[in-house]
Amino acid sequence: MENENTFRRYLPTVLWIAALTAVYFTLNTLISPYADGITLNGKIVSEHVKELGGFLLGIFGSIALIEIYIYQMFFRTPKDLVSKIVTRTLQVIVAIAMVMVIATFLETTDLFRMGDNPIGNFFRSPITGFTNLKDTLISSGIATKDSATAVAGVFVSLLLLVVFAFIHFTSVPRNSRYGLAYLLILPAFLGVLFLIIYPFLFEIKLAFSNASLGTQATKNAQYGLQYGWANLVALFTGSVAKDAKFFEVLWRTILWTVINVTFHVAGGMGLAILLHRPMKLQGVYRTLLIFPWAIPATIAAMALRNEFDSRYGLFNILLGNLNTWLTNVSHGTASIIGIGNMFAWLAAHIGPVSWKQDPFWAFVSILISNIWLGIPFMSVIILGGLQSISQEYYEAAEIDGASKWQQFRNITIPLLRPVLTPAIVLGVVWTFNKFDIIYLITQGGPQEKTDILVSSMYKAAFSFYRYGFTAMFALVIFAILFLFTIFYLRITGGLKSATE
Amino acid sequence: MASVIYNNVIKNFGNVEVIKNLNFEVKDKEFLVLVGPSGCGKTTALRMLAGLEEITAGEISIGDRVVNDVAPKDRDIAMVFQSYALYPHMSVFDNMAFGLKLRKTSKDEIKRRVNEAAEILDITHLLDRKPRQLSGGQRQRVAVGRAIVREPKVFLFDEPLSNLDAKLRVQMRAEISKLHQRLQTTFIYVTHDQTEAMTMASRIAVINKGILQQLDTPQMLYDHPNNLFVAGFIGSPSMNFFPAKLSVSGGKVMVDVDTFQVQVPDALAGPYKNMDGKKVVFGIRPENIHDPEFAPPNIHGEKVSAKVDVTELMGNETFLYLVNGKNIFIARVDPRSQKRVGDEVQVIFDMDKFHVFDVETEEAIR
Amino acid sequence: MTTLSTQKPSNPISRFFRWFFYRSRGDSPFKTILIHAALIIACVIAVYPVLRVVTISLRPNDTLLTTDLRIIPENATLDNYKEVLFGSPEKNRKSDFFLWIWNSISIVAVTSVISVILASISAYAFSRFKFPGRSAGLVFLLTTQMIPAGMLLLPLFIMIAKLKMINTPLGLLIAYAVTAVPLTIWTLKGYYDTIPVDLEEAALIDGANRFTVFTNIILPLSTPALAIAFLFSFMGGWSEYLVARVVLQKNESFTWPLGIFTYAQQFTVSWGQFAAASVLIAIPVMALFLYSSKWLISGLTLGSVKG
Repeated sequence: MENENTFRRYLPTVLWIAALTAVYFTLNTLISPYADGITLNGKIVSEHVKELGGFLLGIFGSIALIEIYIYQMFFRTPKDLVSKIVTRTLQVIVAIAMVMVIATFLETTDLFRMGDNPIGNFFRSPITGFTNLKDTLISSGIATKDSATAVAGVFVSLLLLVVFAFIHFTSVPRNSRYGLAYLLILPAFLGVLFLIIYPFLFEIKLAFSNASLGTQATKNAQYGLQYGWANLVALFTGSVAKDAKFFEVLWRTILWTVINVTFHVAGGMGLAILLHRPMKLQGVYRTLLIFPWAIPATIAAMALRNEFDSRYGLFNILLGNLNTWLTNVSHGTASIIGIGNMFAWLAAHIGPVSWKQDPFWAFVSILISNIWLGIPFMSVIILGGLQSISQEYYEAAEIDGASKWQQFRNITIPLLRPVLTPAIVLGVVWTFNKFDIIYLITQGGPQEKTDILVSSMYKAAFSFYRYGFTAMFALVIFAILFLFTIFYLRITGGLKSATE
Repeated sequence: MASVIYNNVIKNFGNVEVIKNLNFEVKDKEFLVLVGPSGCGKTTALRMLAGLEEITAGEISIGDRVVNDVAPKDRDIAMVFQSYALYPHMSVFDNMAFGLKLRKTSKDEIKRRVNEAAEILDITHLLDRKPRQLSGGQRQRVAVGRAIVREPKVFLFDEPLSNLDAKLRVQMRAEISKLHQRLQTTFIYVTHDQTEAMTMASRIAVINKGILQQLDTPQMLYDHPNNLFVAGFIGSPSMNFFPAKLSVSGGKVMVDVDTFQVQVPDALAGPYKNMDGKKVVFGIRPENIHDPEFAPPNIHGEKVSAKVDVTELMGNETFLYLVNGKNIFIARVDPRSQKRVGDEVQVIFDMDKFHVFDVETEEAIR
Repeated sequence: MTTLSTQKPSNPISRFFRWFFYRSRGDSPFKTILIHAALIIACVIAVYPVLRVVTISLRPNDTLLTTDLRIIPENATLDNYKEVLFGSPEKNRKSDFFLWIWNSISIVAVTSVISVILASISAYAFSRFKFPGRSAGLVFLLTTQMIPAGMLLLPLFIMIAKLKMINTPLGLLIAYAVTAVPLTIWTLKGYYDTIPVDLEEAALIDGANRFTVFTNIILPLSTPALAIAFLFSFMGGWSEYLVARVVLQKNESFTWPLGIFTYAQQFTVSWGQFAAASVLIAIPVMALFLYSSKWLISGLTLGSVKG
């Protein structure tokens, strides 16, 4: 009995290892004859693993050190007065060192400059010290050039650990009400701070500068309100990328967002309602309908770009066939007055279109693509919402004599609101900002007639290198979205549930 | 095995005082039931003992140890939740073994204890199943089993039977009582159902609005309620109350209910001798109001006339809903009674078993 | 026996019909057919463009440009796949395919692991503890969704450049890791909220501490949500093109979306190879996605996003 259990417990693991080994050897024998044609090799892989591993170790190591520091603030209290003084002094020193490192980091990334003066040098001293430590380690032969950073990092960590150990052994545990919660959210909070808030602040600063390729990005850039004003004026009066004007692009962006979200919600709702009823083959339909979501967006965009080819693309082939059919029918029915003319008219107006050259059809082509891509997500969300509505409400409504439409209007829609409101808000925000499809299919062309705000902004930054201008542009986009969200939540009653 | 002591325990949620100065002792091996209406603080009192709520002020001890700052896992207690709180992703065996595994008990020992508990509760055949494959009653047993295997000093039950149907509830009540006799451990049991409290407890603590009203054996609570709340809460159907005035004349104590008067028997009149004119609440239990035809002999009966409003025939007894003036009261009479709706009848109050409460303080006067 | 068999329709077609029209909600057969027809059309629209990619990948190089609409083309061949995977000695070209895939996998896997770990931990705090700043924090996280990723691209780019991380996987890793975290926290918090607190309290009394409660109760019970969170952040990074284009500029550091684009930018556009590479990349990801689609609905509790 006991043996059987152990055997059963480890069996899956053993099978997995066996399967993976088998796959490895099969691939190896299959690929090795062609190895000459492949650029990936063991050396690249191991370098990569080393680089990423070191990075991960560094990140998690620093988070761990910060967590220990905060933990001791919340959950340890010094035993006596002397240890209290020493502990607090040590903690303050560590905190100051931390602030100095952060300040140096901000300076390195050009958020501000401390200048070459005693204060600046003082703030830079931890990093300078760290560099000196590395140099010493290299010159004394303890570390090589490659490993110096790692060894120095370990050295500093050990120093910190000694400090923490001292604090630990001169203190007693104490209770903290909120300590644990703060310790838990700290890592994510630091990440968000570092990667969203800091760049955001940096963006604000850039918006008030004349940074561009000419100023070598931030290196020689000038800052000041007048530059911010100039950027703003340029944004609203000049061209945002090459020729297009701001309001023209804004109008197109609104059109893009409204059409997309409307079709996403309507299509998603339709599919969700069809999928929600119990019936045969439901699972098959559900799986197939998710396809556009499952395929990587880049591939989907490239494939669709192909299909909009004027001669060999799917859409024009279909339209061409339709045109041929209509022409044939109109010839066949020419004798019947009215119908023959109608088909002739249709044949004259329905046919292949130039998706790439005509701005209108180019816009339609990106709309079709994005609608196709976005419906599955919305239908899954709505389906989840539908499944959370108890069947009893419908039964009650049926007894009350409500028609199917009335049931949909008075039960489904209000009870879906807690699902729909955030889905629509996020859908609008995401669509407003979604330009990878545009970029990959039309690249904004022809003549920037399919650009939306965000793709113009991307071009301004990375094709025209107008950094300060781009930053101001980004802030304006953010403001528009922010106002929209607040306005929308206000009129729809916010993120409350249906019963509130 | 241990006693539990609540010493001046106070609990606030923000500005709301949920528990106001709770003081009592649960003796070793006792089955104590905390009973009271919803929101009275009984569950909070239990959760503080379990360590799931912080104690605002005061002390709770288990055995000789103050446990205010002891983590739940170190208090040596086990708890059965109202929702059972079975871990949905673990089999019944793993559910019961979880606590022992965390305590690094040896595998053989875990097996022995789980099997033993499963046998006691008759769930051996369910050990491989997941909780969602069990019925309500079976889940309940597993939840109890999970507590038993731990062999704790104190068992805590938080309304464990309230999710069961009526029949199963009666059955599980008996089983929990049996379990208590078998394990000989301290049980603390929270419920809002006074029948559960009366049938299972060795002692009952009645709590209302965060205050301990009375702590006594079921029989004492029933016969000698300390105040109006306890008198009304314990017993079903509950005690009849009449606003009344005492009048004393010539050594005879009368209870004046405006539309009728009843005399207090001389042997019980002592405490009321100098309370002439005092406003009181007069209480009498339905089973102490009799149909004159079937009234037991040798009681100090007082006749009261009333009109029958509703009758409820239960088979073994009959409830009469009676109206006298503004007062409506219930009598629990012999099933052979022929009283019917609309009849003007005379009933007999058994004045050996009455209660009188002060209108202001709501305390019993005796 | 004979009576039984007469009761059941022996004709396979009528049996199929009985199975197919098995009455649910008392819909008429006509309505049932209409619903199935609508769904089948929707499925064709959803699947056909994807199948076309497969078709193109199978075409021999000389018939790439054709107006043929068949799914399996004439003279189907696997030459495109061979060239994508192993290069072509005739043209003296080596294949970077495995290199791109390796770059993508290593970056995206690390990214997803980091963001799911960070999000699952802090979502737990947001779901279970009341602390000053809790609701402010949640609103703040939702607000970050309004900051377009493209908008932070410029400062991130300058930051990454200053830190000398251009052309390294680390630069991209930084850019991907945290953009997904805020929404993941919301999703996971919504899911944790549906797990009864009783379970945790029971475990606390059973002898667990906060940590073992998290690992033994919360994590196993939220597997669907964690799987979905991982899947989303993986999918998000996996096919990301725009940030990668800015950060990675050398061929050997390319992720596959950049790599695959080189097929389209070569002097002669190699659609066949592009399609073959697409199929090779898409199949495992789509299989993973479709396999986990049974969790999508339970894992995506967007409905619990309440103020």
